[in-house]
Amino acid sequence: MPDIGVALSTIVSGVLLGGMLALTALGLSIVLGVMRLVNLAHGDFVVVGAYVGLFFLKFTGVDPLLGLPVIALIVAALAIPLYRFLLAPLAERGPEAQMMTMFAVAIILENAFVLGFSADTRSIERDYATLPLTLGPVTVPLIYVIGFAIAVALILAVHWLISRTRFGRDLRASAADAQAAATLGIDVKRVQMLTFGLGAACAGVGGTLIGAAFQFGPSSGAAYLLNSLAIVVLGGLGNVLGTLFGGVTLGFLQSVGGLTLGDGYRDLVGMALFLLVLAFRPDGFLARRRS
Amino acid sequence: MSQRLKNIVKAGSLLALASIAFGLGAARADEIVIGASLPLSGPLAGFGSFQQWGYKRAVAEVNKAGGISIGGTKQMVILIIRDDKTDPNAAASNTETLISRDHVVAMLGSCTPALVNAGALVAERAKKPLVTGCDPLEAFKSVRKWNYVWDLFFDEPELAAAQFKALAELGAQTNKKIAIWHDNGPDGQVVGGKIWPALAKDFGYEVVQNAEFPVDNTQFTSIIGEAKSKGAEVVLVDAITPQAIAIRKQMAAAGFTPKVLNIEKGAEPVQFAEALGKLSDGILVGGYWDSSLPYPGAADLSKAFESETKLTSSQHIADSYAAAQILLDAIASAGSTDPEKINAAIAKTDKTYAVGPVKFDENHTAKLPIVSLQWQGGKTVIIWPKAAKTGEFLFPLP
Repeated sequence: MPDIGVALSTIVSGVLLGGMLALTALGLSIVLGVMRLVNLAHGDFVVVGAYVGLFFLKFTGVDPLLGLPVIALIVAALAIPLYRFLLAPLAERGPEAQMMTMFAVAIILENAFVLGFSADTRSIERDYATLPLTLGPVTVPLIYVIGFAIAVALILAVHWLISRTRFGRDLRASAADAQAAATLGIDVKRVQMLTFGLGAACAGVGGTLIGAAFQFGPSSGAAYLLNSLAIVVLGGLGNVLGTLFGGVTLGFLQSVGGLTLGDGYRDLVGMALFLLVLAFRPDGFLARRRS
Repeated sequence: MSQRLKNIVKAGSLLALASIAFGLGAARADEIVIGASLPLSGPLAGFGSFQQWGYKRAVAEVNKAGGISIGGTKQMVILIIRDDKTDPNAAASNTETLISRDHVVAMLGSCTPALVNAGALVAERAKKPLVTGCDPLEAFKSVRKWNYVWDLFFDEPELAAAQFKALAELGAQTNKKIAIWHDNGPDGQVVGGKIWPALAKDFGYEVVQNAEFPVDNTQFTSIIGEAKSKGAEVVLVDAITPQAIAIRKQMAAAGFTPKVLNIEKGAEPVQFAEALGKLSDGILVGGYWDSSLPYPGAADLSKAFESETKLTSSQHIADSYAAAQILLDAIASAGSTDPEKINAAIAKTDKTYAVGPVKFDENHTAKLPIVSLQWQGGKTVIIWPKAAKTGEFLFPLP
């Protein structure tokens, strides 16, 4: 049995990391909620964010955390044409066609990463990404605290955007019934396009944080897609605040799994939980309290 | 379009399809076709890119000299490389394709036991010679008794012992408490699960932790926390590059700085140091080659790589370059593209290449001498043995 300091540090680290992962899952959740699309390229959008963060630092010398708004805009600007030219024309053909399209985009992106940036493993090198933060017996990575704070702030901002603004109202109406929303004069395609861009922007910000905290490469996207799916299912499809809950829960339970079974079994715990929730509460734990 | 023209187009299309399907035209009678499956993408791409360069350079040199004489006629060598995406299944199917579609006469290997052995088993079954580096010898020998596959690389027990010997000879003062972290791949289990614990005991160390993790693991928080709480001052890691980078970053972020950190496998390629920056300083890794070693062409090889690619060289250019040279020498010596004759010629190899002296034993293995390398300022220096030393030992880990 690990000592109390190790146990507490592991669990707090897991919760903080879960918050960061919630941010990477947020984009998947809102796109799923509004467009009914499981974006299979979402993990690769996270990787795009990491590369954009890396090259943003390299070419501007500005810390990528300060450049997060710019990075978010760049990733959104890269994603919106995908919606406009690949997904929108398929809107009438059901979600399967769009899903398979994004699967193809994921494969193309991975190959493009290899061609453009080589297959090397990268990391965004920042001092704060490797500094510990110690409070009594608990030591956690400083980057996890920073990432968690940014994730919570962004998730709350997106929640506010969806629940308190006109765009949010249109978004919710489009999510509830796209046909009815269209008859009421809402430009559903525009809403979906902006939602897709917003989802990609969130993935981009999450990717930059992940790139600073960990390492990434052309094929890293699949793991983040899987984690994001687990978080979305835990928190409830399309539920913004539920995503944070899902991320923190997944992080907590993965940490407990890591402590009791070993770090190698974290993903096993996460995926077992994912399947259990799918089997018994397919709408997620917070299904009744949707944003 | 007239009916006749349509028929011609149809016939042409069918012929083109048949050519693709059956590999017609892949090899000409006046060419010697060899092939390799390499990890050019996926987690091991860092190794694959170096190997590709080594293989291509050896072939280019032979072709520049006019090719290889077969039956009195000089023939050019064609090298076909297929990406196995760091997937053993793809390595096996690539090898099948190289044999059946590309009609190779012999092959060169991939990297790491999982990938090399997957392709090697196909080559063995097809009775096509395959020369490889990048496959630790014990892991290679454990698969089967090989007849057509040849491996030049380091021997795991020697590599594992190198750092213990280096620490003893260099007088590194620690509390003798060791944490061992290793992946669950074949070589990780051999080195981290068996050899290191036994050596630790022999060298008077106490193993306070031995943790195993899957090859694709990304989170090491509790493993690191446990080693820190147990006061380990020496940490030995066997992991591939993405995990090695994650481990070093997470160690720093957890405030855990042992006096000695040795990372086998993952700390070899230069991308490890590039991703970590100054965090790579002081990390030890066992090595089998450095351009400063007194082998013919060693210094030139490194210079050629760096001037061509503008990248820092890696030891993997040496074993891949030598593996290709050994195969090409064997084809030349056999004077034939008959796989049996090439195989017999490989068996007779006894020469010092840029990677070191190569002579295969009865297990089809050639053991490369080991040195202890340390990352310093983005480059590796040899810190042990003394005779080969190119830099001072940085101790403790910064």
